[in-house]
Amino acid sequence: MTKRLFNQCLCCLLFLSFNAASKEYLIILKDHLFYPSQIIIPANKKVKLLIENQDSTPEEFDSFDLNREKVLYPNRKSIIYIGPLSKGYYEFFGEFSPNTARGVVIVSDEGAQHANN
Amino acid sequence: MLITSLVMSLNQLLPVAILLVLLQVVKKQSSLQIGSALLIGAVMSFLYMQSASWVSQWFEHQGLEYSQIGLCITIFIAVLVFTLKQKSAAFYIAVISTVTLYLSHYIIYLTSFWQNSDAGQSLFIGTLLGSGICLSFSVLLYFLMNAIKHRFGMYPLFTLLAFNSAAKLLVALDLASQIDLITNTSTVWDLRDLLSENSELGRVLRALVGYEATPDLMSVLIYSTSSVLFLLLCYGIPASITKERV
Repeated sequence: MTKRLFNQCLCCLLFLSFNAASKEYLIILKDHLFYPSQIIIPANKKVKLLIENQDSTPEEFDSFDLNREKVLYPNRKSIIYIGPLSKGYYEFFGEFSPNTARGVVIVSDEGAQHANN
Repeated sequence: MLITSLVMSLNQLLPVAILLVLLQVVKKQSSLQIGSALLIGAVMSFLYMQSASWVSQWFEHQGLEYSQIGLCITIFIAVLVFTLKQKSAAFYIAVISTVTLYLSHYIIYLTSFWQNSDAGQSLFIGTLLGSGICLSFSVLLYFLMNAIKHRFGMYPLFTLLAFNSAAKLLVALDLASQIDLITNTSTVWDLRDLLSENSELGRVLRALVGYEATPDLMSVLIYSTSSVLFLLLCYGIPASITKERV
């Protein structure tokens, strides 16, 4: 009985995790700059960042705050999932051009309103 | 560009240097073995880098993460096997996988900006400085760990190796959540104001024991479980073997 209940809970959790649609945010890297450089996302929600590198050189998306690191190849799209996050500022940067390629993910209630709209 | 090259080379070379030193202190390998492992690793990094752009488009742009998760798990297992059995094959697998994982990023950086005539000199000097700092740090760590080994035995070394290897599983975990293979859990603590991962000490601790300023619950659980498992297996080694090694 307990085993069956456990299995059902596990199935529900798996179902929920696979069906939780993540809101998508597009970030473009051009001339070693991220556009937009500021993204507002809702608190406690997982979101999908679709990053398009329009430069002719690779870049590495890096964030100590988000624990994310990914090489962005020229003229290719890359996907990074972040969250659920608590309210606050989470910086990210391009490791190959850290002086120019910089941005911040702002997690706030305002992000939730954006997401609902 | 000079500072970026220096920071990049430190970030990518330090984890390789640290692992190599720790494995050397566990059981000294010949110069030929070290040289060949590093050379094969460098070739593998180059091949991996060449195919990375293509691999990155697999599994809906997630191919690179899957391959890196595989490398991280391989490193953990190889280091554990080497610590327990001292097989040369495990040493080769651990070093080659680590070099492939970390050096490929640096090769991508070097090859991308090398063509830029203004950047060539900065890249060269930055890399040279970074390599020098890594070498100095490695020498100091080697003598420190050897002194600790002779004074306190193998267990402090095993503990550091356990944390260092568990850190590779943290990298795998971050990569898995990055591609939505697992869901991030709540952040356990936030030490960004106390010790940022971006700081000098933060970077060294990250390379040494996998320091994370904002770990989630799953990371803490995986890190502690894998470290304890590693240590339990090491403590299972008969005392006579550990004494022999000292």
